Amino acid sequence: MTQPAYHLRTNKAIDRLAMIEAIRRLERIVGDLSSYTYYGFGGPYLEDFRLLYELCPALKLVSFEKNADVRARQRFHLPCGTVQLEPTAFRTFVAQYQATDQASIVWLDNTGLEYAAFGDFIAILAKVSDMSMIKITLRAQPKDYAGTATETPVAAANRFRAQFGAVMPDSTATPPTTEPGYSALLVRLLEIAAQQALPSSSERTFLPVSSFRYSDGTPMVTVTGLVTRKSAIADIKKVFGGWQFTNHTWAGPRLIDVPTLSTKERLHLQKHLPHSGTDAGKMLRGALGHLIDDTISRTEAGLQQYADYHSYFPYFVRAIP
Amino acid sequence: MTKSVKVYVNVNASPVKAFFVSMFTRDIKLEEAILDLLDNCVDGVLRGRHSSSKLTPYKGFWAAIEFKRGHFEISDNCGGIPWKLHDYAFRMGRDPDRPSEPAGTVGVYGIGMKRAIFKMGQECIITTRSGADAYEVEISPEWMENEGEWTIPVRAAKRGPKDEDGTTILVGSLYPGIAARFSDDAAVFTAELTKLIATHYAFIIQKGFVVTINGRSVRPRPTLLAFTRRPARNAPAIRPFIYKTESQGVSVFMAVGFTRPIPSEAEIAAEQEDVKYSTIEAGWTILCNDRAVVYCDRTELTGWGEANVPRYHTQFIAISGIVEFRAADASKLPTMTTKRGIDASSPLFLQVKNKMREGMRLFIDYTNRWKTFPAEARRHLDETVTLSFEELKAEAVTLPMIRVTRLTPSGKQYTPHLPLPQREGANMRRIQFTRPRQDVERVAEHLFDDKGVEPSLVGEKCFDLALRDARR
Repeated sequence: MTQPAYHLRTNKAIDRLAMIEAIRRLERIVGDLSSYTYYGFGGPYLEDFRLLYELCPALKLVSFEKNADVRARQRFHLPCGTVQLEPTAFRTFVAQYQATDQASIVWLDNTGLEYAAFGDFIAILAKVSDMSMIKITLRAQPKDYAGTATETPVAAANRFRAQFGAVMPDSTATPPTTEPGYSALLVRLLEIAAQQALPSSSERTFLPVSSFRYSDGTPMVTVTGLVTRKSAIADIKKVFGGWQFTNHTWAGPRLIDVPTLSTKERLHLQKHLPHSGTDAGKMLRGALGHLIDDTISRTEAGLQQYADYHSYFPYFVRAIP
Repeated sequence: MTKSVKVYVNVNASPVKAFFVSMFTRDIKLEEAILDLLDNCVDGVLRGRHSSSKLTPYKGFWAAIEFKRGHFEISDNCGGIPWKLHDYAFRMGRDPDRPSEPAGTVGVYGIGMKRAIFKMGQECIITTRSGADAYEVEISPEWMENEGEWTIPVRAAKRGPKDEDGTTILVGSLYPGIAARFSDDAAVFTAELTKLIATHYAFIIQKGFVVTINGRSVRPRPTLLAFTRRPARNAPAIRPFIYKTESQGVSVFMAVGFTRPIPSEAEIAAEQEDVKYSTIEAGWTILCNDRAVVYCDRTELTGWGEANVPRYHTQFIAISGIVEFRAADASKLPTMTTKRGIDASSPLFLQVKNKMREGMRLFIDYTNRWKTFPAEARRHLDETVTLSFEELKAEAVTLPMIRVTRLTPSGKQYTPHLPLPQREGANMRRIQFTRPRQDVERVAEHLFDDKGVEPSLVGEKCFDLALRDARR
């Protein structure tokens, strides 16, 4: 196994809980989530649905899965009796989706990077009703377009431009080779796709509320936002304004890269948190008394990350049944 | 009682400003209106005849485009508008007494600048410096509302010691829709304008002209065609089909060929399910005096779906063509009044289109013959280099062109000898079927230890195994 199992990926788990925080803030704006339906890909364990049922029980829940074997595992892992398992390709759902007065929360949780994902994003933004939340996740591995033994870097860059030129800020540019630069570019591609779906002539717009990049073996980038009337933007910003991870711009996604800590280390650090500010890493290193990485700077960077995300950091515990 | 006689006075038939302005801004998109302003910059370079370099006649010249919610500005160093032309430059339409323009310019109807300004906003200041002349022309909202006033106020402009000859057009009081495009839609508008300039001005930028949008330079996106430099004597090779001619002051150079390897049948089928390529650079680009008026067209306009040429299909994604029309007198070019399209009924264009179809057919035939052998077809491209249009024109002088007299106008053409598959035709049969994705992946894993192997290879392997059994 090259990567941890889907439900055990730490950084992804933090991103998942950040999405739930965003949904909770949405609830403060709309008042009641019982009219909302959540659409997503549950994977074999329906991890997202388990958490949503636990923390946002009012939501209606729909999972899409074409593979019959995976659907069988999903049926085995149903967190509740109300999750609807649809044997449909998500693309078919997007094509058939009819907007009603009912708002939706949709997570386009892609594992790869293809232009079709931008097509889905554009299609769903144009269709959903007001105050719907859309989250899209894309593979953000710059090596995919940096060249290989059988493909020169020039050919790889040409391939990127041919695939994504319609949503690139500069369709002649070469994609960056660093993870921060590459994921920042993918976020800009999403910005352009969002403006294509909801141009300024529309009464509605897509307002980002957060964006992250992370890796549990494969670099990923994700953006969450609301489809909203422009007149409602100020109210949304008031509610999201108090959240540490709010980002209403399309500027660089925030990094999630939490360190590996033992439960004992985490419990030891808990009494020093919360601690806002950029010196949290240094403070926690002092509190811990030892390094958790090769160097002081890496230790402090990791602990800074821990300070930022500690309330979303899952505990993975081995239980003896 | 005397009978009263009704007296009729003369009718005022002068144009209503608002109607005039709204009508002639209606048939052009905002991005194309900005291209009109760039055309004026380039025409200014040609008017000044500043450069004698044939390869980079626009080197040293630039145009800078800036836009925000409140205003649009374009400035350049392309020579300015001499005072002696002021009467002609600012009139709506082209005065018949206006001096004729130098060779290579495209402005014909005298509306480009005015149309762009009125498309965007209700006020404008045009500052221009040309030799000893430096003046400013202001169009205000009050002027727009004054039906009786058709003259525009002018004042002397300041000229700094470092100011180059050139023009700055500043448009304010933007219409709300335009202001929103420059701000709320800034990302997508900038991307689309950048793409338009990169494609339609590719040749001019390659020849030295610099265009910036909000401070960022626009890089050209030229079409590059595959060319085998030194094939073995009489051996087939990948090269473009070329045709050139001259008619009534218009010279024509046309080339069509491949830009990339042809797609395999699997790729073609996959494209039907999910869009893989968001930009397709196949099809025809038509240049008039260095400017692309049509870019990557794949419709009947350029011959697709006419006569013996099929409608465009993903199978033809590798085929691209460029046709250049060049004329000293821009009115002879086969362009539309907006300069952003080709006059499909132009007799010259219709004649050239016959050759466009002839060239396309060669490469369409190649894709039909080679699509079942994509790996071999890919190897043909290994021996090629990609040439820009100017490089191709330079190579063309060394090619054995034959005279063509069947058509009017007559011309010269080069027909490449493209490779043919050694095994094909009546002895081959296509086998095509579909199976559930999970089953195909399961068989791929069984045969190749890799569930990601192309379905066509899985099918071929299954057939080969069955054939081996059948032969026992």
